[in-house]
Amino acid sequence: MFDIAPDHAIGLYAGLLALPFALIAISLRPARRLVPGTVLAASVLLAVSGAIHLGLISTHRAEPLTALLFLMNGTGYIALSFAFTWRWWRLASASLLVATLLGYLVYIALGFDLPDQVALVTKLLELTALGLVLVPARSEPGRPRRTLRWVSFAVALPVLTLVTTSTVWIVALARPDAQHAHAGALLQATNDVATPAQTAAAAQLYADTKAAILPYQDWHKAWAAGYRPGGPTNMPSTHWMNQANVDAGYVMDPQRPQGLVYANSKHGPVLLGAMFQMQHIGQFGPDPGGPLTAWHQHENICFTPFGFEFSFMTPFATCPLGAIDISASPMLHVWIVNNPSGPFAVDIDDSVVKKIDRA
Amino acid sequence: MSSRPEAAFVLLVIQAVLWTMAGLSALPFAIAGEVFMLGLGMASLLLALATCLLAIGILWRRRRARRWVIALEITCLVGSLLLLLLPIGANHGPVSLLTNVLLPLAVLVLLRKPREAFL
Repeated sequence: MFDIAPDHAIGLYAGLLALPFALIAISLRPARRLVPGTVLAASVLLAVSGAIHLGLISTHRAEPLTALLFLMNGTGYIALSFAFTWRWWRLASASLLVATLLGYLVYIALGFDLPDQVALVTKLLELTALGLVLVPARSEPGRPRRTLRWVSFAVALPVLTLVTTSTVWIVALARPDAQHAHAGALLQATNDVATPAQTAAAAQLYADTKAAILPYQDWHKAWAAGYRPGGPTNMPSTHWMNQANVDAGYVMDPQRPQGLVYANSKHGPVLLGAMFQMQHIGQFGPDPGGPLTAWHQHENICFTPFGFEFSFMTPFATCPLGAIDISASPMLHVWIVNNPSGPFAVDIDDSVVKKIDRA
Repeated sequence: MSSRPEAAFVLLVIQAVLWTMAGLSALPFAIAGEVFMLGLGMASLLLALATCLLAIGILWRRRRARRWVIALEITCLVGSLLLLLLPIGANHGPVSLLTNVLLPLAVLVLLRKPREAFL
């Protein structure tokens, strides 16, 4: 969702290339003086959206249906961008925009494609164009169905924006690509199957780390060593961070992990594992166990200093007021409890924490 | 008569809906136990509501609404540019640029003139 699919990048270039041409084409038409600026702006956005769709045909020739839909959409948008003086322009433009928006949502919901930045840019342009097509301007001559257009605007724009955002988000979370897991965590690229040497190295790392952090099962010792809760302690689990170890930049040192993870049970904090963290964003650590010990980096999270809490950035790149969009530098967890997802999994299984709480 | 206020109105409504989504997105985390997220989510929803009301004020060509919107968009723009410049791993993708930089910039451009159109 936050990446640009390689076969979609050309659409973005086509759209950027089309923008100056669309502006020049409109400025050369004398008919531009007969319509309000909102119509001209919508025409430019239709032209850019059309160019994006047409640009995508070249990389989708192997998918005839998709290529045909891109061709129909692109041609329709370009034609409408020129036909803004046509009597039925508003109805035709609004219908095509709504059909395209809904069609895309059905398309991704059925799993024919995954949402990416090019698709989201196009949807944002289409939503804006729809708003500009429907909004009545004071400068329009006559009484061009103002009430109907206001009602259409008030219903279509918010509803379509909310439905688009929700659908894209649900699809992206339900079907992450191979490099993403756990709601957007970017995984380190590794070989597919661990070699015997990598399996042995992973087992050694696990044994060393477990032996080193076992004393911290008593959270008082962790506190004395400089570990502090790095977030709310009313959640199922909390990362306790050691700022001295973070600042020192130890790399995967079992004796000095940057963080510890505790379950917040009714009996108090129960040690779940350790967390190694690199100092810089995009700098993945050593990977002795290959696919078994792949690091991961949390991207596009909305972090707030109030209570050190976080949420996820929306597909249209907004965070709640008071939270900012950040990435956390790469990390590797070592779970010393029996985690069904594995001892180096990105996250601890909820059932483990619940079981500890019930014990 | 210029239709710039109507164009700004459309952009502000879109911005308000996007903030509504941001506010709603905080609520599951609040339910999971992040108490501050509840406050931030509600604040975002209130901001979305205020933006919607300001958009209506722009549509009615009210000078006070224009002033508030300009202040709001400058704040958004400065915040977004800071996030772009600081090395904190903020998203620099095209959607982020469109939503957080180009959209406020477009609203500012649309509202810069003619002032006399506003009452």
